[in-house]
Amino acid sequence: MTDVLHVRNLSLGYGHLTLFRQLSLNVEAGTTLAVLGANGSGKSTFVKSLLGLIPPLSGKYIWPDGRPDDIGYLAQATEFDRRFPIRVRDLVAMGAWRGFGLWSGLGRTARSQVNAALAETGVLALADRPLHTLSGGQLQRTLFARVMLQDAPIILLDEPFTAVDQNTEAHLTSIIDQWRHENRAVIMVVHDLSTILDHCSHALLLGGGEATHGTVQDVVVPERLVAQGYLSQGQASWMFRDLSSCGVQSHV
Amino acid sequence: MFEFFTDMWNYVFMQRAFVATTILSISVAPVGAFLVLRRLSLAGEAMAHAITPGIVIGFVVAGMSVTSLLIGGFIAGIGVASLAALLARRTILRGDASLASLYLIALAMGIFILSAAGSAIPLKSFLFGSILGIDDASMLLLGTVATVTLISFAVLLRPLIVSTCDPVFFESQTRRPWVVEQGFMILLVLNLLAAFKTLGTLMAVGLMILPAAAARYWVSTITAQIFLGFVFALSSCWIGLTMSYLLPDTPSGPAIVLVAGGLFLASALVGPLGFLRNYRQAAEPSDKPAMYSISHGRAS
Repeated sequence: MTDVLHVRNLSLGYGHLTLFRQLSLNVEAGTTLAVLGANGSGKSTFVKSLLGLIPPLSGKYIWPDGRPDDIGYLAQATEFDRRFPIRVRDLVAMGAWRGFGLWSGLGRTARSQVNAALAETGVLALADRPLHTLSGGQLQRTLFARVMLQDAPIILLDEPFTAVDQNTEAHLTSIIDQWRHENRAVIMVVHDLSTILDHCSHALLLGGGEATHGTVQDVVVPERLVAQGYLSQGQASWMFRDLSSCGVQSHV
Repeated sequence: MFEFFTDMWNYVFMQRAFVATTILSISVAPVGAFLVLRRLSLAGEAMAHAITPGIVIGFVVAGMSVTSLLIGGFIAGIGVASLAALLARRTILRGDASLASLYLIALAMGIFILSAAGSAIPLKSFLFGSILGIDDASMLLLGTVATVTLISFAVLLRPLIVSTCDPVFFESQTRRPWVVEQGFMILLVLNLLAAFKTLGTLMAVGLMILPAAAARYWVSTITAQIFLGFVFALSSCWIGLTMSYLLPDTPSGPAIVLVAGGLFLASALVGPLGFLRNYRQAAEPSDKPAMYSISHGRAS
């Protein structure tokens, strides 16, 4: 598989606060990297730094094939203005807004792409509804449709399953699996361990000033999760017992 | 009634006032819509006060000319906005407190210099506007600002929509996100300066905020909000100017803004997205749970 991103000796933080130091990893096309860690460990900072919104303290990102023009991105729901007066289909069309030019409207191809993405995420019937009438799950499906329109080789998702029900989460994870099969690289901040074990190939665990990267089987193990402050000893014991009794295993 | 309007239209200064406020309404409608949507309504008010010392210094140095008003006000407005942004970025103070502190200093400085210089123009017309002050140069300023505003919005509309609706997504998609933010701030200052003669420094932002906020109660798309905001702004100006003509001692600024305020309150009461929305929903249960929950500050 081809690498789409190399991270070399990366340290992230704000001013005098260093969140983690000296992270090096490669991200391959067709893989899903889970980013997990306690609150404040630097998960969202890592994603925003990848996007170029926050400069690293040191280290660099190397894009073997050049930085893609478009990086698929889904921010945390709290960073979004749900009362903004636009329709669902217009929000999805934003995924391709740079391709429209300054003056032209949505072409026939773009309109059919928007409809296809809305149908894929199960919200085509809501296409002409104003944004503020959507529930949390409907909005998240809409934002996934926008990521589809971006058609990017690398996709960053920051807590994509916040405030969505189980059915919606299952549907959205199937879309993420599909992206992986389309040979896109997916990096997602996620808290649910069963989702990580079932749908991710690699994991980046942040916490305690450290960053641990590897395959899910190597990283998402009770000892590491406890050592880096993600779980307490008691939580790790019952959670992993519970997960194995449900038959959850890594897919790789 | 017909004679009343004929009499009013016989005055050249009233003809100028109606034309000027029509152009102003076209220009401020998109600026107002985005001020409201970008949650900058109060920042817009602050900027209206922030331009005061520049206008006053320009007036004291070069007299009451459009050039002095434009240069002085523009430098003061952009200066205060930039300094407030610097304070918010480099110090512990948040953006609202930085801007509030600086605009208060600027407003006090402006009024102080105006009084100390023994101004030839009455303070009331400076603060609240005067329809008598619209000369050829003012009309030219209005026309130029409106043209610049409409062309800029044609170019900036898409980036503005994306950056307002989802700022983090916008920043992730462009290498120069500040162009949109700074460009919008420059348009705001230009429109405040254009509105200064008619509405005065205290009321200039009223024609931007109130019609745009009132329009939000009626429509759910950005283009409809800009258009309806223009209709409300134009109605406010024409009715306000007529009121000001009827009562010669009343300045035009408050009259126009009062009418806009009336439209805002009426919209909040009867608009489909105003107070009555929840009553209608209670009467007709629908499959739109988010409308209720958002209005109560809970995301579903």
